Amino acid sequence: MIGGLELLIGLPLLGAVAVLLLARREQLAAWVGVVVGTVTLAGAVVPWYSTIRDDGRFVARSDAGWIAALDVRWSLGLDALSAPLVVLTALLSWCCLVSLVRRAPVCGFRPGLVSLVLVIEAASIGTFAALDLIVFFVFFELVLIPMWFVIADWGDEEDPIGRRRAATRFLVVTVIGSALMLIGFVLLHVKTGTFDVIALRSLAPRIDHSTQVVIAAFFLFGFGAKVPMWPLHFWLPDAHSKAPTVGSVLLAGVLLKLGTYGLLRFWFELVPSGATTVAPYLGALGVVGIVYGALACLAQTDLKRLIAYSSVGHMGFVLLAVSTLTTQGRAAANFANVAHGVITGLLFFVVGAVKDRVGSTDLERIGAALYARAPRLAVIFAFGAVASLGLPGLAGFWGEMLAMLAAYSPADELSRPTYLTFMAVAGLGAVLTTAYFVVVIRRVCQGASEHDAVPDVEGDEWVAWSPLVAAVLVLGIFPVVMLWSASSSASAGGR
Amino acid sequence: MTVVGLVALLLAAVAAVVVGHRDDRVPPLLGVAGSGVAWLCSVVVGALHWGANAAPTVTGSGRIETGGLPITVALRVDQLSASMVVLATTVALLVQVYSVAYLRGDPRYPSYTAIVSLFTAAMVLVVSADDLFVLLVGWEVMGVCSYILISHHWELEPARAGAVKAFLMTRLGDIGLLFGFFVIGGAAGTYRISGIVEAAAAGRISGHQATIGSLLMRCGVVGKSAQFPLHSWLPDAMPGPTPISALIHAATMVAAGVFLVARLLPVFALSDVAMTTLAVIACVTMLGSALFALAADDLKRVLAWSTVSQLSYMFAALTLGGYGAGVLHLLSHGAFKALLFLAAGSVIHAVGTQRLDGMGGLRASMPVTFVTMTVGYAALAGVPPFVGFFSKDEILGVASDQAFHGAHGRGWLVLVVGLVVAGLTAAYSTRAWLMTFFGPRRGDRTGVPPPEPGWLMLGPLVALSAASTLGGVVVVWPSFLGVEREGWHLGLVLVSLAVVALGAALAVAEWTRLGHMDPAASLGRLRPVLAREASYDALVDWTVVRPGRWLAGLTRLNEIEVVDRYAAAGDIGSQWGSRLVRWAHNGNAQRYLTAVVIGAVGVAVLVGVIGTGGPS
Repeated sequence: MIGGLELLIGLPLLGAVAVLLLARREQLAAWVGVVVGTVTLAGAVVPWYSTIRDDGRFVARSDAGWIAALDVRWSLGLDALSAPLVVLTALLSWCCLVSLVRRAPVCGFRPGLVSLVLVIEAASIGTFAALDLIVFFVFFELVLIPMWFVIADWGDEEDPIGRRRAATRFLVVTVIGSALMLIGFVLLHVKTGTFDVIALRSLAPRIDHSTQVVIAAFFLFGFGAKVPMWPLHFWLPDAHSKAPTVGSVLLAGVLLKLGTYGLLRFWFELVPSGATTVAPYLGALGVVGIVYGALACLAQTDLKRLIAYSSVGHMGFVLLAVSTLTTQGRAAANFANVAHGVITGLLFFVVGAVKDRVGSTDLERIGAALYARAPRLAVIFAFGAVASLGLPGLAGFWGEMLAMLAAYSPADELSRPTYLTFMAVAGLGAVLTTAYFVVVIRRVCQGASEHDAVPDVEGDEWVAWSPLVAAVLVLGIFPVVMLWSASSSASAGGR
Repeated sequence: MTVVGLVALLLAAVAAVVVGHRDDRVPPLLGVAGSGVAWLCSVVVGALHWGANAAPTVTGSGRIETGGLPITVALRVDQLSASMVVLATTVALLVQVYSVAYLRGDPRYPSYTAIVSLFTAAMVLVVSADDLFVLLVGWEVMGVCSYILISHHWELEPARAGAVKAFLMTRLGDIGLLFGFFVIGGAAGTYRISGIVEAAAAGRISGHQATIGSLLMRCGVVGKSAQFPLHSWLPDAMPGPTPISALIHAATMVAAGVFLVARLLPVFALSDVAMTTLAVIACVTMLGSALFALAADDLKRVLAWSTVSQLSYMFAALTLGGYGAGVLHLLSHGAFKALLFLAAGSVIHAVGTQRLDGMGGLRASMPVTFVTMTVGYAALAGVPPFVGFFSKDEILGVASDQAFHGAHGRGWLVLVVGLVVAGLTAAYSTRAWLMTFFGPRRGDRTGVPPPEPGWLMLGPLVALSAASTLGGVVVVWPSFLGVEREGWHLGLVLVSLAVVALGAALAVAEWTRLGHMDPAASLGRLRPVLAREASYDALVDWTVVRPGRWLAGLTRLNEIEVVDRYAAAGDIGSQWGSRLVRWAHNGNAQRYLTAVVIGAVGVAVLVGVIGTGGPS
């Protein structure tokens, strides 16, 4: 039987094939990509809407035998935790596809990039929807390969060796991470005899404590490499700075979320007592990442690397929220995940546009007074920056505020003084985040104009960016769209 | 009604940005119209909520679930909110009207007027919010609006630097505020302000929680209202357009800190420690900023320091439980400080400089500005019958009651420092007044006396000086605010009048003795110290800014020299690994098999050891 989620995964895959078949007619292929992306986006909203209606349960379930010999079942479903991430994936992919209609990538073949974007979209949706550990693993790995090609073949045109190295680094680190994750999965199977996530929710918590700790630690490093958790972040700035714009947008907006989603889905829900032991370490690494990321941004001279490092900080907030093991922490993590996706997606689009115009993302070469040289571009950048530094009333605030609030009252098993310290350090990180963004605005947007004017935001860019601007405003002014019920994003395991 | 006002302001802001660039006449019109509608709404709100027994109105009840205590999207308007809304929208409307002339022809007018409207809306949200987090939204949006407005002239270095400083200092305080909200909300079991006040009154918040919560919230209050040690951003915010200074200093932004303490006074009052700390901060700030105002040689800087000093008076009153006195001084200060800044704008507009040594002798050619600004200075200095006299007298009255009859030592502190600063205020007001309007015209090369500005600018001045002259009536009968006046302290009035007269007389005497030169010259060796503002900026630079930069540099170095190295080592490792794989993949089946077996055994052993071993 083919359910809604199979369609949601299959459609972009078919689209990717169609785009390749039409590759000779580049423009048509790009348009086909947009049509497929639009239909997928519309389809992704449907299950999200039904998760709001069916409070907390899995919707659009499909369950069939697949590889019986390995106990693997083809099991898919969405709940309040995964459905918003599927919408986020579809939205960001749509924006990327639209941005490719008028603008060919600087190097590389456009239909190839369009079809890879569609493959990434399909595989990411599959990862979020998977309710079988092996199906999850397969999709998780499937995302990596197209991303490797995107960075290695469509990346920074001035540095072919560097972009390949960055792509390989990204691949190696995440593959090592997923190997650790797979060991955790196998251990779960050894102990319980199933890969089924829903069955594991009742079976896995009964595993003995020490095994749980081991599994939790494997998950911590496995998913942590993807998030990326400090100090496993070193692949990120390179990957971002060498990737093409759409690559950066999907990397930050979708791929990083796979890691935090994995922790939310498999960590505390499956191995609660192990997670309780490991949680303070995760929290500590999270807050170190917040401050470290902010400090790295403060001294950064390349705009694209700066946004990349800012992701390390924002993901630190998500990790802190996850590590509190509370319902509030889960809600915070889920909100911050989505908010970071739209805000950072927008920022990478703007930085990409700056690069198209001045040929570099180096702060020195971009020059000052963008407010005068390209006012709308500069204002959208400043808007993204202000959202990213967590201004209340815009998307970035609620997730990070709730993360700190969750750290203020963590789960009973955790040491409260430890978490209060984490909260204070995270607060300091938030101030440092403000500092580097105002410094960058001062350096890039303001100042005396010495450089030539550059073209302002153009029609197709408005189309591609405005959904993200709207999402930042809607999530900020009506956070209730994601915080609608006490059990939203909490599903079973949280408290 | 409040909601209608908010919507009007937001619509004006959006419209100004969207269609403002088509025609020069549209943005001023939109700005004035938006603020006008909001002002009309606020008058209705005031009429409905003023009075001793007026019931508060609660609007909205949307819940945002956080997994813990919910956030409630609700507004609650009572006497205090209504008064603050009227003050904020009145000043905003006058500022919008004034800006039509002041910023005529400015290409950035559309964004300017939009941000002013947003700013006003944010202040209205702050004073009418019934949930701590809704308040915080307004609070921070106001912060970012002030950041944008201070850097209105972003091509100028002082504007950029001042804006960054203002935003960072207030954000630093706001983190404390956020944590304070966590503590107080957690202790009261709700984030609704009305619920928290009830919980505090019913004794459901322990003294311990109140102390921690209040001290944390104090960080945000101190940042927003520019009190020591986060005071130095306010004078540096002066490169912004002068109407903006009027808005920031009088009715919004800095007033929000005082408002918050007044709103949550029952919580603060639970903690003697928090109140005493705040009182000491207020007295230190009051005295220091009055001294800085005495030596500042920039007209707007004098006014900025005077704002800091007057805000300290309000905090001092609140720490003694003088709710009525603090709030009344906030309202009266709103009127006369808006007047002073707008009048200063008119002077600056005419002479083209903010420096006092570039002014002088302006009373003949600018009579309306002269008279209205004189009213403003008189109100600031506390000269009867202007409004500042009555509200300052209220504060000193509360202080003397506490000093002579109260239990806390801080009554004496506030009374003594308050009286000294009253004298200093009279002295620096007189000095700035003399330097601007009397003596010879300094620094003038044209020889043409600067003319009076048009009535778009003078109108707001006249309106505000009327309010500053007649406002005393409101202060003497404060029942609209739901509070009772305590009565006159005749002896105290005489003492404070004597102090004010002494301060003013000293300034006049030195001015005359020096032959119509700056009386600050008589400060001697103290003058350069005060003009440098006690080198506080240098201190911050050495203790915070430089270490921060150094740490950031170190982090970057670590990324390049350490982290990248181990990543590079990883690259080499994976190259060796791939060579090994290539060696294995040479088609030799036996080698494949060996590798597979070794690998499988390895994984099996690992899984076996972990899966079965270990104590459970």
